[in-house]
Amino acid sequence: MTAIVVGEKEDDIAEALTVARQAGDVAVLAFGDSSPQALAEYGHKVYHLTASDPESVFTALRKLYDDLKPLLVVAPTTKNLKDALSRLAGIYDIPMATEVYDVKVGQGSVSYRRGFLSGRAIESDEAPMPAVLLLAAHKNPKASKAGQKAEVVELQTAQGRVKSVERMPKQKGGTNIEAAEIIVSAGRGFRSKEDLKLAFDLADVLGAQIGCSRPIAADLKWLSEDHWVGLSGHKVAPKLYIAIGISGAPQHLAGITDAKLVVAINNDKSAPIFKNCDYGVVADLYQFVPLLTKRLKERLKR
Amino acid sequence: MGDLVVLLKPALNPEMIRGTGEGLVDFDYMPLKLSDIDRNAVEEAVRLKNTYFKDSKIWSISVVTWGPVTKRDKDVRMAVQEGLAKGVDEAIIVADDSGVPGDPVTTASAIVAAIKKFNISPTLILGGEATIDGFSGQVTGRVAAKLDLPYISFARKIDIVDGSRIRAERDVEDYVDVVEAPLPAVVSVTREINAPRPPTLIQIRMASKKPQHVVKFNDLADVVKPKRRLVEARVLAVKRKQIIVEGKTPEEIADKLIDALISEGAIRV
Ligand SMILES: Cc1cc2nc3c(=O)[nH]c(=O)nc-3n(C[C@H](O)[C@H](O)[C@H](O)COP(=O)(O)OP(=O)(O)OC[C@H]3O[C@@H](n4cnc5c(N)ncnc54)[C@H](O)[C@@H]3O)c2cc1C
Repeated sequence: MTAIVVGEKEDDIAEALTVARQAGDVAVLAFGDSSPQALAEYGHKVYHLTASDPESVFTALRKLYDDLKPLLVVAPTTKNLKDALSRLAGIYDIPMATEVYDVKVGQGSVSYRRGFLSGRAIESDEAPMPAVLLLAAHKNPKASKAGQKAEVVELQTAQGRVKSVERMPKQKGGTNIEAAEIIVSAGRGFRSKEDLKLAFDLADVLGAQIGCSRPIAADLKWLSEDHWVGLSGHKVAPKLYIAIGISGAPQHLAGITDAKLVVAINNDKSAPIFKNCDYGVVADLYQFVPLLTKRLKERLKR
Repeated sequence: MGDLVVLLKPALNPEMIRGTGEGLVDFDYMPLKLSDIDRNAVEEAVRLKNTYFKDSKIWSISVVTWGPVTKRDKDVRMAVQEGLAKGVDEAIIVADDSGVPGDPVTTASAIVAAIKKFNISPTLILGGEATIDGFSGQVTGRVAAKLDLPYISFARKIDIVDGSRIRAERDVEDYVDVVEAPLPAVVSVTREINAPRPPTLIQIRMASKKPQHVVKFNDLADVVKPKRRLVEARVLAVKRKQIIVEGKTPEEIADKLIDALISEGAIRV
């Protein structure tokens, strides 16, 4: 039995290896910025592709898949890999699932769990192998390195039909929201970009990172996308999440299910966020947030 | 010039979730609706037709993935009707009880089979980046691979160049890639690509006169039956304390909240 792990970042690949090793032998397809020599230390043969566009990854993976005939293809859930791996799954009509965890490889089939219904439910599935699994981040332990370094094979990039004309890096707010301990998160309750200062001031006293709901990043673009929390944004797991002027739509809540403590500040007492928080304050954020910041400053003596 | 195809999924509406006594998702209770991002896909198909492909027809293909099929008929019709009202010219519905609960393996093969059955030669096939129930975003990629067409995923902007090439902005985590590919092609769109407008009353009335075809797997060639088995779907119950902090003055509320955060160990003095 074999499995193929596909990925770019070492941490993602190490998590995928833990799952893939259940199937037996593993080969790694590392692409883009990955460092194949470091990855070879995990003891599995590394095929390295310099290109990182989904079409090149698909073409290389397909060839490897035909050669190795693996039972599992395991990768992190990223947009480029959803693209590349859905094509592989399509070619061979094999099952594929994204954001999976609790993966158990059985006789001829694999079971896993994943979020469902915009994060409001958990589904448990069983799929016959071969199957393609894209893992949820940080839900699997990282594999350890092996004593012996494995071989590295450099792959050639084939000419594809989708050509990149220009790559525009995204503006970054410099946050790593997924690792934040405390998050102060802003929603449509804020009336202008300038008013976000109220959230920034509160975050300052708490040593918190700034998060936001989708409209703030996607529609209004008041904050860069690395702040975006939710189903289509980042899933966070802080000790404390303070939602300010956020209504609590299921797609937003899907991003904060792993938060330890949720505080909501909203002037509409019927907002769904109050059913999904630990402590709620029904108040106008423009009055309450500056006051909370002031009292925290005094009491925390910062 | 070929036609435009838009993929419209009648998806379970997550807002209407309800659990059974055992905490399982009560599928029978949950209605279907047109998946949100598919609405962006129709909007874009209509815009592209009006801008570049005036003589093309827009087809929609909907595969029913939640059953039983007869019970879902009304919801499915509503979702498809929405596409027709927004500008789809002709709709195909694939509904078969052996295809529920669905599997993207089945959905993609049924879409490809429907395209063949109705002799559609697509210039462009558009779908949403993911659906609101499954949210795995794999059907468009599967369709592209099965038809051996170029695939552009996560498009937040689309233009047609010289009538023969598509240029799109792919919106991925760390960057936006401007890409070009020859037509025909398959594209998945993001929610940011446009702001869907609700159809007008006249459009809604016209919609019911447009052709709709309902087909079963037997009418199609090579539909792959579902492989994945949904063992269980459980309502996610995140238990929160739901304590509303009250007080006579805002200062008192702020202090009570701070006290609570300290006693929870969330902040330290
Ligand atoms: C497929 C899909 C994916 C999605 N993904 C995401 C996602 O990843 N993340 C996400 O966040 N959303 C996502 N959404 C959107 C989501 O459904 C909601 O539209 C969004 O979360 C709403 O953002 P909001 O709470 O900031 O705004 P609103 O819903 O407009 O809420 C604003 C809140 O502010 C309150 N308010 C107004 N003024 C004040 C004031 N002065 N003081 C205090 N409170 C005030 C209001 O009472 C209201 O509750 C997605 C939707 C779909 C369909």
